[in-house]
Amino acid sequence: MLRKKLPFLHSLLSPVSRHVGHLTGHQYDVIVVGGGHAGTEAAAAAARVGAETLLITQKIHTIGALSCNPSLGGVGKGQLVKEVDALDGLCGRAGDWAGIHFSILNRRKGPAVWGPRAQLDRQRYRDFIQSELLSTPRLTMVEGSVEELLVTEPNPEEPGHHRVTGIRLANGSHAISARSVVLTTGTFLSGSLFVGQTTSPGGRIGDAPSSAGLSHTLRERLGLRTGRLRTGTPPRIVKDSVDLSLAKLHLPDSHPTPFSFLNTHTHCKPEEQLPCYLTFTTPGVERVVRESLQLNCHIQQDTKGPRYCPSIESRVLRFPGRSHQVWLEPEGVTSDLLYPQGLSMTMPPDIQLRLIREIPPMRRAEIHTPGYGVQYDFVCPTQLSPALQVKSTQGLFLAGQINGTTGYEEAAAQGLWAGANAARSALSMPTVTLSRTESYIGVLIDDLVSRGVTEPYRMFTSRAEFRTSLRPDNADLRLTPKGFEEVGCVSSVRYQESLRVRNSLQDALTALQALFLSTSSWKKKLPSVPISETKSTLLTGLDLLQYNDVTFEMLASAFPESLSSFMEFAQRLKIEAVYKPHCDLNKKEIERIQREENMSLPQDIDYFSLPVSLSDEVREILDRVRPSTLGAATRLEGITPAAVVNLLNYVRVTEKKKETHRNQRQQEAQRDEELCANSASLPQ
Amino acid sequence: MAGFTQRLPPPRTALLRSITDPRSTEVLDRGLVLWFPAPRSFSGEDSVEFHIHGGPAVVTAVLQALGSVPGLRPAEAGEFTRRAFQAGKLGLTEVEGLGDLIHAETEAQRRQALRQMSGELGRLYQDWSDRLKRCLAHVEAFIDFSEDELIEDGVLNRVDVSVSDLQAEIERHLKDERRGERLRSGVQVVIAGATNAGKSSLLNKLCQRPAAIVSPIAGTTRDVVETALDLGGFPVLLSDTAGLRDSSDLVEREGVRRARERVEQADLTLVVVDSAHLPSEVDRAAAFLREHLRSVLPDTDRCLLVLNKADLLPEKQRQKLDTELRGVSGLPAVRLISCQTNEGLKAFLTVLHSSVKTLCGDPLFGAPTLTQARHRAHLQRCAAALAQYQRYRDTDLALAAEGVRLAVTSLGRITGRVGAEEILDIIFKDFCIGK
Repeated sequence: MLRKKLPFLHSLLSPVSRHVGHLTGHQYDVIVVGGGHAGTEAAAAAARVGAETLLITQKIHTIGALSCNPSLGGVGKGQLVKEVDALDGLCGRAGDWAGIHFSILNRRKGPAVWGPRAQLDRQRYRDFIQSELLSTPRLTMVEGSVEELLVTEPNPEEPGHHRVTGIRLANGSHAISARSVVLTTGTFLSGSLFVGQTTSPGGRIGDAPSSAGLSHTLRERLGLRTGRLRTGTPPRIVKDSVDLSLAKLHLPDSHPTPFSFLNTHTHCKPEEQLPCYLTFTTPGVERVVRESLQLNCHIQQDTKGPRYCPSIESRVLRFPGRSHQVWLEPEGVTSDLLYPQGLSMTMPPDIQLRLIREIPPMRRAEIHTPGYGVQYDFVCPTQLSPALQVKSTQGLFLAGQINGTTGYEEAAAQGLWAGANAARSALSMPTVTLSRTESYIGVLIDDLVSRGVTEPYRMFTSRAEFRTSLRPDNADLRLTPKGFEEVGCVSSVRYQESLRVRNSLQDALTALQALFLSTSSWKKKLPSVPISETKSTLLTGLDLLQYNDVTFEMLASAFPESLSSFMEFAQRLKIEAVYKPHCDLNKKEIERIQREENMSLPQDIDYFSLPVSLSDEVREILDRVRPSTLGAATRLEGITPAAVVNLLNYVRVTEKKKETHRNQRQQEAQRDEELCANSASLPQ
Repeated sequence: MAGFTQRLPPPRTALLRSITDPRSTEVLDRGLVLWFPAPRSFSGEDSVEFHIHGGPAVVTAVLQALGSVPGLRPAEAGEFTRRAFQAGKLGLTEVEGLGDLIHAETEAQRRQALRQMSGELGRLYQDWSDRLKRCLAHVEAFIDFSEDELIEDGVLNRVDVSVSDLQAEIERHLKDERRGERLRSGVQVVIAGATNAGKSSLLNKLCQRPAAIVSPIAGTTRDVVETALDLGGFPVLLSDTAGLRDSSDLVEREGVRRARERVEQADLTLVVVDSAHLPSEVDRAAAFLREHLRSVLPDTDRCLLVLNKADLLPEKQRQKLDTELRGVSGLPAVRLISCQTNEGLKAFLTVLHSSVKTLCGDPLFGAPTLTQARHRAHLQRCAAALAQYQRYRDTDLALAAEGVRLAVTSLGRITGRVGAEEILDIIFKDFCIGK
């Protein structure tokens, strides 16, 4: 499936970008602003759902660019990649195409927390994404800078509520109309770059800053609360100048595992994979950081940066006197550069050089591009619905760093979900939500919209309460059918494949349970397995598969007639068997949460005048966060059980009223029709 | 439970049944059992009602037995009502004030919990909870970050130690069931000894009223005289028994038999000795008392020696005895008193109080409540969850961590909620995470 030929991108792309003028007056269903991980997934998902989609980005050739680290996946993040793939997104397949070093992290810690990860070839990744978008029906791409978001005047009946009508581009005054707009501006929203003591506007080195108009619309016209976050990237090092013999060699898995459920192998052959290298900081590094602090604007500011991906400055300041890890990662097959993971820094370039030369393999290293810091605006995500739509603005969706997250995978996941919902909203279909009980994407979105962020948000497996059920191996079972049947963002090819897998797994589990033998018979069949004979009970094949030392292969060779046809799923079956009892235990709790999540709280409730017994404190919290479901409300800090019951009561009453109202209207309509029919049939 | 292992009784019919503990098959009570299959029940779900005798011991035993059934847990505050409401079983009028009801319920529970939490027990649970959270944070850090970061393998070994310590502590805490029972029914303190040693006088002194007849005639007390008293906040059931001697009197023989039976069952025996019978050579007193004790009770672990009628001894001998008998091996605590002059009574009361306190263990005052049974259920779940950690530690860390998570949630139901953010805070405080 990966054997497609990539077209000559630029010859295909240039006509698209030259004819902006033709777009004026054109009505799109969905406009996506931004061509990063969120934007590309959003545009592709919107088009898959069936929307006429336009992707606007500053430079067509940076679509799909990896701005920071040349890698995808990891613990928690790998789960997101698998889920995006299960919903037919791009990043999993792009990773399989561009990966040059695959490894499953946490291999020895249990399948629920395995972290599929790959080092990527930047060029290949970009090529794949661009080619994929070019071949996507209903998707147009255009170069441009968005100057303004077009919204209606607020409806007098609903003060503060707007509707998106399109965007206006900076060059000239082209207005392009759309029913939905997805903003994925990354670090470009009022972005500033920091190197040493110099600050310049921008979101990424080498790119123009985005116009101030967009932030203005969001803040002033729509009244959205924003905050400021920071991030950074390390200098890129010239590979030939590094003595890699002084670093520890780190090899990839000998059998690369693809991210995508559709791929059986990766584009890169196992033996063609490139290694990574591990090295450590020295006391000299800490000295350089301390000596240059006053030359380092970025680090002196108190804007919130992530605790888990800090700059080398924060690392040595927070944990002094330690040796910190630095990974030297390849940037691609033909690239001359290395990416020093762990050395994000913002001091002046000459001091950056001094710093890296304090690390033994880089004693004589040269810097190709210095590291820098970025500060940018984000929109407080509690103002979004679980469909990632701005609650006060119909048709406006946000995804990626603009929502306060960090990381490619987090961006891709939100992009896909925002794009699919933007399309559904534009096509007059109801928006859809993912529960935190069924996916990491659901956990991510629920955390964002119901708790908000105080630092750049990154996914960890520990955020998912039902981690043992939300495994990377079963993302297709969890999401692909829903993606096809309820969302419409999954192709029928993938859907059919997921059904085949689901049915085969079910058949295999049935076959395993049908093997019903006494312990002594099992002992005869599998002499090497330590089956306790003290209990003379009957055991099924499924019970046996839960034993540490028993593999599906062993059972299949003992019972070839009933099991050998399922060998393709040997690993998945083993995992299913081990986790089944735990997932069954989770089920009840999951059902309870889902019941509560199915009770939606109207978005226009005035919590301060609600005629139910709630404390002022609770009213204030509810008004600030505006949870969209009762489930989200129960998870808010400071919400008491009593408040939940009162809310539940209110929801029930209003639902009942609405229902009676609907019924009445239906009856009236029916009566009218009957009357009309009667009068028509009356003799003239 | 009766209905679980055998056939289900017919729906909505009250039946008299033995309620048995599924673990020990011990009969806990005979009571009415009602079975309401869904949806025709209060909450709309399958329900069983047990109508049992109201004594706290029976209620607690049944709740504990129920808590041992897998999948069964005590309802949260207002959960029944809420479920009934969710199932559409309660009409809107009935629901009015439901929030207030639950508020009251949780408020009361919170106050109750607070009362218990502020004592030693609260500190104990809080300490367990803190240690568990730390364990969880360290396991989670190992799962989420160890591949990229410098998180030493030693982290997990330390968690192993903490988890098995905690498991042992919680299990020990759970096993000490007698303590709770003592608190409910009172500590059984039995006064025993030879005739005319002053046992009944001691009883009367302790309960500050003439509960037992006192006379100089040996063998006045023939049956067991019981009286309940509050000893510095601890309930004590004090029994005076017939003096131990061989007698030809049939009634007195029965009295002596009962006395010996009481001593067997006692939590604490006060062996009263007439000081005048002590050998005049003080250094032989210890041997004499050892010999005497053996004739009264089988083991000397749970008894106090009371040397009564100290006023009859010359001052010098009294002082000598006092120093001689302090901390002698093979002898319990010894106190010289006089019921006549009240001499030494205060010091004796202090010793008695501290013995009773030790026997009762935790300062859980007051009658047993549902909250306590709930605590027990959560603690049992917590211990079982820690066993899951041990079971999967080497094969699947995700499932092992799930065990610690469950343990934290179970304990959190006693001490307060624990969120993912709190765990992440510990992770970032304890480790340098950063790539």
